[in-house]
Amino acid sequence: MSQPIRNAVTLVVDGREVVAPEGTMVVDAAKMGDIEIPVFCYEPKLGDPVGACRMCLVEIEGIPKLQTACSTPVRDGMVVYTQTDQVKQAQNAVVEFLLVNHPLDCPVCDKGGECPLQDIAMGWGPGKSRMTDPKRHFQKPLELSPLVAIDRERCILCYRCVRFSQEVAEDEQLQLHERGDRSFVGTFDDRPYIAPFHGNIIELCPVGALTTYTYRFRARPWDIEQAGSVCTLCPSQCNVAFTVRDERVMRVLARDNHAVDDGWLCDKGRFGFQMFASEERITEPMMRGGGGELSPVSWEQAIEAAAAGLRRAGASAAALAGGGTGNEEGYLAQRIMREALGSPNIDCSPNSPDPALLAELARPELGAKVADLDYAGAILVLGTDPLHEMPILDLRIRKAARRGGARLLVATERPNALDGGAVVDPVRFAPGESAAFISALAGALGAPGYEDGGSYAKQAAEIAAALSSVPDPVIVWGERLWRDQGAARALHDLARALEMHQRIGTGLLEVPEGANTRGLREAGMLPAGGPGLGPVAAGRDAAAIRDGLAGGEVGALLLLGADPVREYPGGGAWKQALSSSFVVSFALTEDESTAHANVVFPAESHAEKEGTVTHPDGRIQRVRPNVPHPRDVRPTWWALTEISRALGNPLTFGTAEDVFAALCAEVPFYGETAYEEIGGQGLRWQERDPGESWVPGRGGGGPGAAAYGADSAATRPPSESGSGPAYAPTAATPGPRSESEEARGSGLALGSYRDLWASEVTRRNPSLRFLMPTQRLELAAKDAKELGLEDGDPVTVSAGGVSVEARVSVKERMRPGAAFLIEGTESDNGNVLATGSPQRISVEKRAEPESNGSGNGNGRVKIVETPMPAEGAV
Amino acid sequence: MNAELNTDGIERVNREFPYLNEGDVISVQRGPEPGGVGGVARTFGATLKGLRTTFARIVEGPVTIQYPEEKTPVFPRFRGRHKLHRFDHDGSGTGGLEKCVGCSLCAAACPSDCIRVVAAENDPANRVSAGERFAEVYEINLSRCIFCGYCEVACPFDAITMGHDYEMADYNRSDLIFTKEMLLAEPVERTPLRREGE
Repeated sequence: MSQPIRNAVTLVVDGREVVAPEGTMVVDAAKMGDIEIPVFCYEPKLGDPVGACRMCLVEIEGIPKLQTACSTPVRDGMVVYTQTDQVKQAQNAVVEFLLVNHPLDCPVCDKGGECPLQDIAMGWGPGKSRMTDPKRHFQKPLELSPLVAIDRERCILCYRCVRFSQEVAEDEQLQLHERGDRSFVGTFDDRPYIAPFHGNIIELCPVGALTTYTYRFRARPWDIEQAGSVCTLCPSQCNVAFTVRDERVMRVLARDNHAVDDGWLCDKGRFGFQMFASEERITEPMMRGGGGELSPVSWEQAIEAAAAGLRRAGASAAALAGGGTGNEEGYLAQRIMREALGSPNIDCSPNSPDPALLAELARPELGAKVADLDYAGAILVLGTDPLHEMPILDLRIRKAARRGGARLLVATERPNALDGGAVVDPVRFAPGESAAFISALAGALGAPGYEDGGSYAKQAAEIAAALSSVPDPVIVWGERLWRDQGAARALHDLARALEMHQRIGTGLLEVPEGANTRGLREAGMLPAGGPGLGPVAAGRDAAAIRDGLAGGEVGALLLLGADPVREYPGGGAWKQALSSSFVVSFALTEDESTAHANVVFPAESHAEKEGTVTHPDGRIQRVRPNVPHPRDVRPTWWALTEISRALGNPLTFGTAEDVFAALCAEVPFYGETAYEEIGGQGLRWQERDPGESWVPGRGGGGPGAAAYGADSAATRPPSESGSGPAYAPTAATPGPRSESEEARGSGLALGSYRDLWASEVTRRNPSLRFLMPTQRLELAAKDAKELGLEDGDPVTVSAGGVSVEARVSVKERMRPGAAFLIEGTESDNGNVLATGSPQRISVEKRAEPESNGSGNGNGRVKIVETPMPAEGAV
Repeated sequence: MNAELNTDGIERVNREFPYLNEGDVISVQRGPEPGGVGGVARTFGATLKGLRTTFARIVEGPVTIQYPEEKTPVFPRFRGRHKLHRFDHDGSGTGGLEKCVGCSLCAAACPSDCIRVVAAENDPANRVSAGERFAEVYEINLSRCIFCGYCEVACPFDAITMGHDYEMADYNRSDLIFTKEMLLAEPVERTPLRREGE
């Protein structure tokens, strides 16, 4: 299913000759000739047109009746009229009909001033109404969800929101009830519409029927300024536009970028703006005094103190960057570490990827871009749940399966939101056994050095058959696979076996855990990878930094927006490690890690930051300042240069752009990318100069560099690494740790996952707090029965002497013998138990807590994970 | 440069322009020769001519208005300081509520950008305005206002009208930012209104 080739056809619209690709709808073709046809229900993002509103009627020569321009594809030689009396009469009639029941409360309505109905009534309407009877009335406004209000009087029944719910998000919660003039949009049984993407319906609504409580009555279009940026709350890096009034962000809108987000936003990105102006934000530097309390200090004092602490540690200092850190900040932090302190202890995620393999996987010919999914023949979702890790990718995969005809395959540890759409039974491998499955898959695909067999042989063969039956499969895989020894290597080898490197429109797409993990890696925030993934003296990775801090071998830690206590496995160990060492932290609000920090600097939010980030598919995007820094917050890149200066290593950068230029000079494949070139839509470095071969960075070439770089492809001359399997397939994948019977007997295998809402962002934004998850233990029905547990039972989960409390959640399609906890919940964090390696747990039922038993019980609203409809149902 | 030789004013000129030669300066006489009997007659003649009008009008009495003790009445459509309105207590249930719903159309119409409106949602139990929304903040910066009356024209609810008060001088610029409470308050009637046909 490669991208179809579309011929150009010529048609005449209002006497103007227009050339448009075959299959274009008349309304779009007319736009190419600068002729506007009014529409309400037509929205190409929603898929096929429905022709519900009748606003786009036009006259086409040869057809006696008027046709809907939104659902009539162009033909060669077509002659269209949009200005005839017949058309005008029809348009007048449609507007008049729409206004029969539409209340004229524009001064009160939130949409006033940016309302398509206002514009169209003005431009194409009759100008007056003949309606003298009373209008239809509904109770207004109703709460459709805790975030969205619905005013059913204003609805013009264009179906956009219903189509979004049914065909894009596929949560199928919104329905049109009743008939005729009593029709209204609602949910079954008036349940709240809770879904991770439901904020998009506010933007889709062409009238003021759907409004959000966070923006209701806050501002008018002439009160606001709107500017574009990039959301850095997850790796989707959706393009957004911030609505700013009085120097505060009032709402977040999607900014269409087909190559990134397709014009959708998840609710986290859409409603996660209240934290920018939150009272809880750290707005000045703080230092921990003698009493153990953080107290405000001047920037000079804080920089001096941070530099002094890092200088004491010297080469034993370490740095950790969080996902939202920009490329420039990562680049500066690694220069401080490597140049000013001589320390190689740098990391940006808990998964410690192998740098040589990482460089191999970063090859342009092996990578797929997001838009490739639209035309992929098959998509394998491997070891990741896009809904939680990269939500917009979930919508994109659904779109590919629904509209592009991609065969969807799923192979994960945990039940996945995409399971329902899988054409082959979704594979469930045991937590920590991804390597065994991927090796079996590589074997089934005939990758050299892999055996076709093992416990996953049958499932692997099915997936392999589906993958190799199409020319352009795309594999979406999770960063977490790096935790399982050999998994990423097997993945690389199977990609080669599928000849992904020789075809276009196919490849691997890694879903990282941090928003900008790819950019940080390329900027050099890796223990053994310098800027451009070049080999450098190897240092400690995140886990080794933690152990080093606890053991005293690592003297100080610089945290750039990272909260390892909450977000990294072994949270308890991190807590201990941080409490005994010197910690400098850049943070937006006080979190579990700043509680142990000695110096805290205020961090910038993505509405204030100037810089760049790199999308998981290699697209460099610009984050632009939309609002001024609150109070005494200063740019992080500036603070880092000042710390470096205080350490005796002056970095002379005047602007964030200078830092980016320096970064580009060190990353060969970024070349001489300029801010202007990136523009508003970003720039994939792989597409920047197709003739240029892939050259990783030079790296530092320290003593450790030779250890792995000697015969790796990364150091080969570029001429040799152009094509062919440059990375010699290694047969030595560790034998699959097959789940033996005795292991199963000793307890359930614990896995953990990141929930979309289990993060600081949920708490910092009051409107999202109702989504904050409490810990739950997911079990297969079989295991729950064996343990005598039922859905909702309170339990104590323990492993290795630590325990957390949770409630049982019995899930379908779970692999028996596996159990899952959420990482990063506010209390009973699953990371306390998770260590990054497979674990066995014991589960004990505990008494129903008094407080919960009496009140509203498990009172929070559950996030509905929307299963895809089975294939036959579509 | 012999100043003593000259007696007709050229001497003075030359003192002012010492660098000029004697022949360079020519004195020009505009009008009759000053002084003399003719000069005196002309002076008093012109004064009396002017006084003729004065004495002719003296019987009409004084027309000076002793502002601020006395004020000129303004026309009914005079555009003075703005007023915000409430609904009358006419038994329709909206009595006492503010007419303004905070739609910001006045702010959009304002050519000098002196109106700031921040709207908020009404609490049904404790209504401020009759609609769903009301103006939480309504400010007019009267030091910027050009009294064009566009806000009054734009208002869909007749919530803002131009009053007749023009006495807005103050000691402080910030005191000229009128808040909603100040605009809603029944203004002290300081300006007499010209009656119909007056």
